[in-house]
This record gives sequence, structure tokens and C-alpha cells, in this order.
Amino acid sequence: MISIKNLHAEVEGKPILRGIDLEIPDGEVHAIMGPNGSGKSTLASILAGREEYEVTEGSVTYKGKELLELDPDERACEGVFLGFQYPVEIPGVSNLYLLRAAVNARRKYHGEPEVDAVEFMQMVQEKIAHVGMSMDMVKRGVNEDFSGGEKKRNEIFQMLMLEPSLSVLDETDSGLDIDALKVVASGINRLRSPERSTILVTHYKRLLEHVVPDRVHVLYQGRIVRSGGPELADTLEEEGYANLETDEAAATS
Amino acid sequence: MSATQQIEPNIDHYLAEYARVERDLPGSDDSKRERSAELTRFSEAGFPSPREEDWKYTSLQPVEKRRFEISDEAEPVALDELRAFLPTDLDAHRIIVIDGHFNAALSSLDELPAGVTVRSFADYLSDNAGATVKAREIDEEPGSLTAMNAAFCTDGAYVETAANTVLDKPLHVISVASGVRDERMTQVRHRYVLGENSQATIIEHSVGLGSKAYFANQVTEAVVGRNAQLTRIRIQQESERGYHVSSFFAQQRRDSRVFNHGFDLGGRLARIDTNARLVDHNAEVHFNGVYAPTGRQHMDNHTKIDHATEHSVSREQYKGVLAGHARGVFNGKILIQKDAQKTDSDLSSDALLLSDNAEVDAKPELEIYADDVTAGHGSTVGQLDEDAVFYLKSRGVGEEGARAILTYSFANALVQKVGIEPIERYVEAAILAKLPGGRAYVDLA
Ligand SMILES: Nc1ncnc2c1ncn2[C@@H]1O[C@H](COP(=O)(O)OP(=O)(O)OP(=O)(O)O)[C@@H](O)[C@H]1O
Ligand SMILES: [Mg+2]
Repeated sequence: MISIKNLHAEVEGKPILRGIDLEIPDGEVHAIMGPNGSGKSTLASILAGREEYEVTEGSVTYKGKELLELDPDERACEGVFLGFQYPVEIPGVSNLYLLRAAVNARRKYHGEPEVDAVEFMQMVQEKIAHVGMSMDMVKRGVNEDFSGGEKKRNEIFQMLMLEPSLSVLDETDSGLDIDALKVVASGINRLRSPERSTILVTHYKRLLEHVVPDRVHVLYQGRIVRSGGPELADTLEEEGYANLETDEAAATS
Repeated sequence: MSATQQIEPNIDHYLAEYARVERDLPGSDDSKRERSAELTRFSEAGFPSPREEDWKYTSLQPVEKRRFEISDEAEPVALDELRAFLPTDLDAHRIIVIDGHFNAALSSLDELPAGVTVRSFADYLSDNAGATVKAREIDEEPGSLTAMNAAFCTDGAYVETAANTVLDKPLHVISVASGVRDERMTQVRHRYVLGENSQATIIEHSVGLGSKAYFANQVTEAVVGRNAQLTRIRIQQESERGYHVSSFFAQQRRDSRVFNHGFDLGGRLARIDTNARLVDHNAEVHFNGVYAPTGRQHMDNHTKIDHATEHSVSREQYKGVLAGHARGVFNGKILIQKDAQKTDSDLSSDALLLSDNAEVDAKPELEIYADDVTAGHGSTVGQLDEDAVFYLKSRGVGEEGARAILTYSFANALVQKVGIEPIERYVEAAILAKLPGGRAYVDLA
């Protein structure tokens, strides 16, 4: 699905990613953990095409295409979805309006006709049921006056509507109560299939109990310093990130 | 101004122009005398100059240097040429004024409710010996352009609602500048007289068709009786070479309500003065305005709300969206007089600059002489939220589209206040169509 090679990136001249190698086969879910400031969101943002990060070295191949050469909207149309750590509020643009624009953009990109209004609303009805949102909520401005948990549900709702090939979910599980966590987890599992892959950025093992990842990676100071199976999450939960200094030394050598 | 002041050559032109058309202007001999006094007032004051505080940011030089003429008759315009300006599904009575002349064939005024008069302003003046060009109840204040209009006005809409009547459908008044001949002017004047407990919604729509330069100078006077309600929706879509100046004066009696919505989209230069005087208790006024100049358009909105007595309410919100090399001006004055205790007023002005070359001067101006009042005001000037732009792009919307959607959403809150869906959709589409890449998103709203 996606292959990241020796990715270096900086913001305002400050290096943040310092050589990331990551391979995610079709159908797999990979978790990325790591302490605050290690570069997880930076990696996610770069995959989605945020321009303030400058890629100084390396490459990203997605479904055989050079991902970094595509504009953010083209990436979205190619099936990349970013679940934001901090979803923005856009008063005045309803969730429905945004989604119709998004669905139509995708269809246009693939040379398909616009979505039929009735069909679209049926899709909305079906997906809001999965995430426990009301019609009233989706008619409101994008994330307007939503609580932290509601914003994360909304990210999952959008993901379900857009059915991406690669979902990059940046701490979609942070700040959620257990019910909301289950909603988020079931949303992710619902899309799990041999032709879709997911990158889960998380701080908590709790999510990984509901969405069991194929691999877990630890990002530290802009590098992946350790990778393993789901059990790595348990180790990290027990030991914290204290031993990462030595891991990093090992990774550099 | 001193009496010995030199009359500028361009003023000379208008004196001669008045002499040329005077005989054909509608109204009694008395009203001709009124007109000629107004002409004198105009000729003495001349065009407003940037030296005047109220005209600091707006130069009428391009108007002043030309010699505009009254059209003796309208150019032929077919309804088809106006289709684009008729909001889809709008069920309305209609008055069409072309090049300053009421067009009965294109208008549609059948089936008016009993007690409601809607007719051509020229006919009103001609048929009533005692009719004056300016409403007696209203003081238009010394403005040389309103004086010019009083002297020259050829036609417009006259609306009168008897006590306890309701104009059943909105009245759509379209003033068209055909733009066929160069340097023409339209001097259109509307008057609305709303009796006690009556209600009317009027859409004043100014449009330009051709490519020639013209000057549209318009005045609307409204006398809003006790507990009456006027909704006025002003949509300004002059053509690229149209110079538009318009003034609105409302006098509000006890318990009356005025909702004024302004949408400025067109014209090379537009200057709009919107005034309400709340002369008796518990009157309420709402001014909402969106101005969206792009390219080299210049739009200047001046408003004045005068709270003269107790317990009145005003709510004012203006939003500007400026692109290209556009220039915007907003000056919102709230006057709360000594006797206007318990006034509750709020004014906000927000502007969005879409380009480094666009510029806006926005100023709320509060003058308060009463001590027991609530008066809030705020003013912001900003750019699009880049995080929101990226959010939309990350969902598949292209760069231009994302910017158009966000810009539009900024203005949308005020469009939604109109409360008449076909108008809201029309205005929405018109705003979006002005923004690069916006057309694609018109139908989603
Ligand atoms: N736009 C920016 N400008 C300046 N510095 C930035 C910017 N974005 C990120 N950084 C810096 O880059 C580093 C990595 O940030 P990033 O947000 O990727 O961390 P993270 O792993 O997602 O952390 P968290 O777990 O707190 O979300 C931090 O030191 C951060 O301060
Ligand atoms: Mg982060």
C-alpha cells in the first residue's frame, strides 16, 4: 500500500523527521506510538500533504505513485484519509456540504458522475448510525461547537463516508470515554479489509485492544527505533519510553 | 459653501441637463419648484469631495469628470435579458424600471391585496397635485447627491400599505441600466409608506446590462408606521462600468421594525448610505450587509442608526469579502440621543482579505448621549484560516474550491438572515460565482 523510505523533513529549518522507513502492506493495520514531540503528527501531516513541512530527503510510494508529488486534494481522491489530531471547526460550512463536496470531488477525479442526492442521504443515514451521530449534528457547521469526543466521531464518520484505501488516524482515540472509544474502534474495524490499510497513531494500548494491529512501531526523535507485533504495545505500556535512548543509538549505528 | 463660489464646468452640464429635461419630469408645478430648489442645493454643494470626512476613502472623480445624461426613454430590453436576475422560484410582484423609466409591460402587479398600492413613482407624482418628490416626514440631511436625485428623479416604485394590511408576496423592484449608450444616468427614487400594523417585503435590485459607463443615483425613503414592519433587501449588481450611489432613509414610528439586508456584488464603484431614525419608543432596526468587491471594484457602505427615544433596539452586522485589488469601506454610526434611555444596540463589522492587494477601512462609530444604554461593537479584519483550507483539501476539495467554500461560509451567516429561500439561494450563487473556482460549488449549498 505505502512504502516510506529514508524520509527526512523539517519545519522552519528545524529537522523533525530524521530518516523514517516504513512499509505497510495491503490490508494491514500499523500502530505508531512514541512520546510527545517525537514527530508522529508530522509524519501523518506529510502523508496528507501539509505544505509547511519540507521534505528534505527520501520518498513515499503509495499504490505505485510518488505520493509527495500529489497535492493534498489529489491524495484524498486517490484514497488517502487523515484523521486529524485536532479537527478544525468550520462554522458556516455544514458537515453535509463538506461531505458532498468531498464525495463529488472524488467522483469527478475518477471520471464518475456526481452523487445522486437521495443516494447520498441514504449513505449519510447509514453511516451516522454506525458512529452514533444525529442528523441534526451533521447539518451543523463542520465540528461547530462539537465536544472533543464528537469531533473524533465525526472524523470516523467522514472516513466511513469516504471509504479510503489508506487511513492515517492521528490520535483519534485520545480524549474519548469508553463508549466513544468503542465507536471509533468499530468504525476502524468496519473498514478493515484486504485492500485497505490503516496507520494508527496512538498513545494508548486501550485502542489496540479493540483494533489489534499487525505491527507496532515506536517513533522517537524523528526515527522509528523499534518495531514489533501487538505485544510491543504491552511492553511500552509497562516500561514506558525510558529505554528508547539505547534503541535510538542502535538505530543510528 | 459661499454664494460666490465658482460653478464647476461639470455642474454647468447638470444645470443645462436639468433645463433640457425639466418639462418631461413627472409632477405638479409645485413639485417642479421643489426640484429646482434641490438642483440649486446640488449645484452649490457640488459632488462630495474626499475632503469631507464622510467621503474620505471614496473619490467620485470618475463620476465627476464625465457628463452623464438622463435617458429620455428606455432602450428596448426584453424580459429574457433579465432572466439571470430573476431568482428561481421567487413568487413576487414585480416592478421593472429601465434606464429610469417604469416598464409596465415587464412589470407584474396584478392581484395586489386590498389596501396595498404599488405603482410607478412617476405616476404617483403626476396624479397627486399635492405630492412632493421628497417625503415630508423625512429629513434627507444635506447630501448633494440626494438633492441631485430629487431634482432629476424620473421614476421608481411607490408603495403604500393601509393600516392592518400585508403585502402578500415580496415586491421585486428591478432597476436596470441598459448600458447601451455611453454616459447615461439613472435617477431612480422609491417611496414606501407603511400604515399602522402593516407589513411589506421589498427587494431592490440594481442591475446593469451593457458595457457602457453609467451613473446610477438612487434614493429610497420609507415611512414605517406604528407597529409596522418593513423588510428591504437590496441587491446591487451593477455592471463593470456602473457607478452606483444610493441612499436609504427610514423613519420608524413606535413599535415598528425594519430589516434591511444589503448585498453589494457589482459596479465599478458603489457608495451606499443606509439610514434609520427611530423616532418613537420600542422601534427595532436590523442592518445586515455583505459586500464582496473583487478585481478593482470599490465599495463603500456608510450606515447611520439614530436612536431618538427610549427602548429601541438596533442590530447591525456587516461582512466584507475582498479579493484582487478591491477596496472596501465600512462606516457604521450609531447615535444614541439624550432621551434614548434603555437603548439596546450592537454593531459588528468583519472583513476577510483574500489578497495582499485588497484593502478595507472599517470603522464603527458610537455617539452616545444617554447614560442607561447597552451598546456593543466590534470590528475584525482577517484572512482565511489556513488550517481550515487544509482540512477541506485533505477531504478532496481543490485549493480554489476550498477557498471559495470558506469565503462563502464567512458571508453565509448573513445571507441566511434574509429568510426567503429563493433570495438566499440567488445571493449565495451570486457570491460564489464571483470567487475563483466557486461556481462548481453553487449547487451544493
Ligand atoms: N508547524 C510547526 N512549527 C514548528 N514546530 C513544529 C511544527 N509542527 C511540529 N513542530 C515540532 O515538531 C516536533 C514534532 O511534533 P509532532 O506534532 O509531530 O509530535 P507528535 O509526535 O505528534 O507529538 P504529540 O504526541 O504531542 O502529538 C515537536 O517538537 C513540535 O514542536
Ligand atoms: Mg501529534
